[in-house]
Amino acid sequence: MGLLQEIIFGLVTGSYIAIAAIGFTLIYGIVNMINFAYGEYISIGAFIGFLAANTLPGPLPVAVVVAMIGGGVVSIILARGFFTPINYTGPVPMLLTSIGLGIVLRNGLRLVGGRSARYFETETSTFQFDAIPDLPVGPVDLLGGFFVTSEQLVVVGSAVVVFASIHLLLTRTDVGIAMRAMGDDESLARVRGIDTQLIRDSVWVLAGVLAGLAGVLMAVQTNVSADTGFSHILQILSAAILGGAGSPYGAILGAYVIGLVLAVSTAFLPSSMTGLSSAVAFVILIAVLLVKPSGIAGTEVREA
Amino acid sequence: MSVLDRLPSGRGDRALIAGLVCLLLGALFAVTPLRAQLPSALYVFVEVGILFVIYGILVLGLDLQYGHTGLVNFGHVVFFAVGAYATAMLTAQDTFAGIGLGYPWPLGLAVGVIAAAVLGAAVSLTSIRLRGDFLAIVTLATAEIFHSIFVNFENIFGGNVGILGVPRPIASLVSDSDTRLVATLLVLGGVTLVTLAVVTRLTDAPYGRVLRAIRADELVTRSVGKSTITYKTQAFVYGAALAGLAGGLFALYNGAVAPGFFTIQVTVTVWIGMLLGGAANHRAVLAGLSIIMGLRLISRFALNVTPVSSDVFASIRLIVVGLILVAVIRYRPAGIWGDPQELGVDQ
Amino acid sequence: MPAKTGMLSDITERVDRRTFLTLAGSGGIAGLSGCIGFGGDEESGDGGGGSGGDGSDSDGGNSGDDAPDTIVFGQPGALSGSFDFLQPGVSQAADAAVRHINEAGGPLGAELELVRRDTAVDPQEARTVATQLVENDNAAAIVGLFSSEINPLWDYLQDLRTPIVTPWPGSTFLDTRGGDKGTPSDVSDDEWVWRTVVGDTVHTGGSAVYALEEGFETLGIINGNTEGERSYVDGFLSVYEQNGGTVAERVEVELGSSSYQSALSRLFDADFDAFLVSMPQESAITALSDWSDGGYGRQPILSDTLAQQAVIDQVGSDLHGAWVASPGRSGPSYDTFEDIYNEEGDAEINGWTPPSWDSVQITALAIERAGSTDPEAIQKNLGPVSRGEGTTVSTFAEGKEALANGEEITYRGAATPTDFTEHGNVFGSVTISTAESGGFVETTEVAAEDVREYVAEGEY
Repeated sequence: MGLLQEIIFGLVTGSYIAIAAIGFTLIYGIVNMINFAYGEYISIGAFIGFLAANTLPGPLPVAVVVAMIGGGVVSIILARGFFTPINYTGPVPMLLTSIGLGIVLRNGLRLVGGRSARYFETETSTFQFDAIPDLPVGPVDLLGGFFVTSEQLVVVGSAVVVFASIHLLLTRTDVGIAMRAMGDDESLARVRGIDTQLIRDSVWVLAGVLAGLAGVLMAVQTNVSADTGFSHILQILSAAILGGAGSPYGAILGAYVIGLVLAVSTAFLPSSMTGLSSAVAFVILIAVLLVKPSGIAGTEVREA
Repeated sequence: MSVLDRLPSGRGDRALIAGLVCLLLGALFAVTPLRAQLPSALYVFVEVGILFVIYGILVLGLDLQYGHTGLVNFGHVVFFAVGAYATAMLTAQDTFAGIGLGYPWPLGLAVGVIAAAVLGAAVSLTSIRLRGDFLAIVTLATAEIFHSIFVNFENIFGGNVGILGVPRPIASLVSDSDTRLVATLLVLGGVTLVTLAVVTRLTDAPYGRVLRAIRADELVTRSVGKSTITYKTQAFVYGAALAGLAGGLFALYNGAVAPGFFTIQVTVTVWIGMLLGGAANHRAVLAGLSIIMGLRLISRFALNVTPVSSDVFASIRLIVVGLILVAVIRYRPAGIWGDPQELGVDQ
Repeated sequence: MPAKTGMLSDITERVDRRTFLTLAGSGGIAGLSGCIGFGGDEESGDGGGGSGGDGSDSDGGNSGDDAPDTIVFGQPGALSGSFDFLQPGVSQAADAAVRHINEAGGPLGAELELVRRDTAVDPQEARTVATQLVENDNAAAIVGLFSSEINPLWDYLQDLRTPIVTPWPGSTFLDTRGGDKGTPSDVSDDEWVWRTVVGDTVHTGGSAVYALEEGFETLGIINGNTEGERSYVDGFLSVYEQNGGTVAERVEVELGSSSYQSALSRLFDADFDAFLVSMPQESAITALSDWSDGGYGRQPILSDTLAQQAVIDQVGSDLHGAWVASPGRSGPSYDTFEDIYNEEGDAEINGWTPPSWDSVQITALAIERAGSTDPEAIQKNLGPVSRGEGTTVSTFAEGKEALANGEEITYRGAATPTDFTEHGNVFGSVTISTAESGGFVETTEVAAEDVREYVAEGEY
């Protein structure tokens, strides 16, 4: 398999990390907190989607929409209950609260959902393209035959739709423009008459919707369990910070960087070290944070 | 003046005396034929007590970093692990997997502390300038990276089996299990108390005032001419070194190390203990830790009387722990014994 | 120092300090009372757990004069954690065994009770649980514990001096550790850990032998980076490579990943006939689904934890024809076990279910032969009831009767013949099953004797 195939895998992984990372980074930029329970929002989205798929008639996309709506609702409820009251205590207490909330939600899911993993019923078709030339460069094949599955296409497709929608939201709608204003400078935004609490609530809903979508996409690839989202939280976090915390465009970029790094490192690390690929992602995160704390696309420099 | 008057009576000194007494008693049990008798029903409590005093050193280190200097270290377990692994690898004989060099245990312990301190220096060198929650992320990522390394490089670190065959100094001196437990608890408890004394002395001194000033407002402190970076780095390294000490002691107590002992649960437990008790108050954080660990222990016994199954119970226990964390931050951010004013957490 | 705050904090300090010291002091006094003395009496009445019994060792027949009313076995289990999907079968087997034993009158006429506690497959928890079982619940023996718990707690478990007869661990670490070293009556060289499940070395050896017989001379491997998964592969390879097989490529992966496509594409770049999958269930399902999507083909060989219906259901028809080598499901008394087991419930039988039954049965028989519940006595009798030329018995009921007649017994288990080696291990046949739409169907069996050939004497 050539580099092209690895790149395809990386793009797929990057796609659903990107969907989640946008929600995560918006929370970071506008509510000004690292939400460590975001992984659980994703898992909840997966569960809702699973329930919807099994109880409601209609194809999978219906369940996805239900999961997205459910995710948004859950997110705003949790935010109002846990995060809004402590909004002015600062990023550290909010981070710690999110960690505690994450523990509660994860175990709550385990209680309600039970121990065994659940699976979505899906049919995948595979599209093989074998006629591509190899183009070897040294030990590496640049192209070579590759395949894509319908699932992968759906994931990438959803991601593109999400990116376009977010872009439209942020540039064409009042809410979106207000979000960007708050992200840049909250006090200034308030002075301009923006209802900051309303915008914050909107961000929570949006992040919840994205988490719901990401949850179903991830669950289709793996399974539905209390750990579905939690196992990816560090990757999402890395992507968001890598791209410049607070910037959705940066998050997209960061997510694809992480996805590509994961795929390519698995392919090219010595075989005894392939288990380290996610550690590689963290090393990159740390490296970027040290060299350019504002991330790839970020504009603000967060210093102590 | 009577003898009593001449005894040192500062806060830290009381702990120092208590600690030295414990060490002495423990040594007595270990070295002489003096025997203790422990009702077997209490074994569990003593064992958890031993774990408590080891984690106590961890929480004191963390308190130095966060409570006093405001550094958010969410990867504290990595220093614990590095200290433990370094000590284990240096002293183990005939380990099933990984490296064991068989050197004497005092050397191993010292190397463990130094290794953790070096890692602490490396982390702080690179990240001390980052904002609080970013530092939390970097430390967390560091812990994950090391966990990955310990698990993956099986030939060096023993993979999931870990390093076995680490010498256990107390166990080798005492053969009677009751006395061994008591001696271990006394010796390790003594070390914790001495650590408490040292840390208290450090933070009572003008040094501590600078640290607290940094936590309160770093900009102002810097403008007064104090090099905040130096102080922060020192505090971080001391905290890491203490964690390394705890790790080395753990290795020498358990006789083996494995990744299963160094999970994020340790970090979470220590953090909740610190916040619950009241950061910046050394004895309070120890008390908070005892509450959290005590709750877990008591809840095991509650299993006998509750009508739910064990796995449901395990999940409920964790939910309660998470809720405690959330509640403490929301309603009593200074912790049970902390001073809200001092911590700058006005409601 | 500002006056007001200074005084306030002083008072709170003093109160804190006072209460702290009072609590600590009184607690300390209460704890120390009557607890200190000089040497002299070695094993005080409370040390070491176990109910009643004075350690009177009897080498045959049961005196039964110290018979207590209840005997407790402690069972640490994976009620949460990585192997929790295997626990229901193991629990049910143990419960079925306990019921059968009590219906037959119980060991020494007492009621056998099983106390189960969750360790979440975590060594720190396991340590506390084991202490609790032995000291607080008065367990005479422990019938559980996993490799990842036993290995790092080895020294602690030796100090516990309580027999641990566990159906779980396959780790090669235990190949030369455990058992009574062939000297039942001499406890000083004993290592207290016995396992009723065939070790990885043995059943992976069987699997490797079968692979070679079927003509799979080259192999690819994908395995998780946890100990059980690695140990499985290492055991497999040691026999496979020694007998002419070659490994074309081996890829290690992390668990819980959302996609294994990269790892698979790397693996399948190499040329091989069959590939070995050694991962826990959920990650394996993800990996195998990815494999199926990628259309890679070739013969899958699955590790024993994957012999589950869910794997076939989720991966689909591409997996039909894959095979799995499971340890001991066909011991001599398997049918007897199966009947009683199915009355107890309907948990799925997995590779660890029959060994769980065996562990309870044989420990109860050891107590019966010892005539006492003292841990040392049990330890001395585990060897004699499993080895040797005595009357073969398949259940506790038969064994109790034979012992009452003054005969020696040899227990023949449900998983294996349960013939403990000097290191407390068992040999058993290896069952090869093939995946079909309805489940895993038994294809063939590699007999225990054949497998034994591949393991050096004294090394297991």
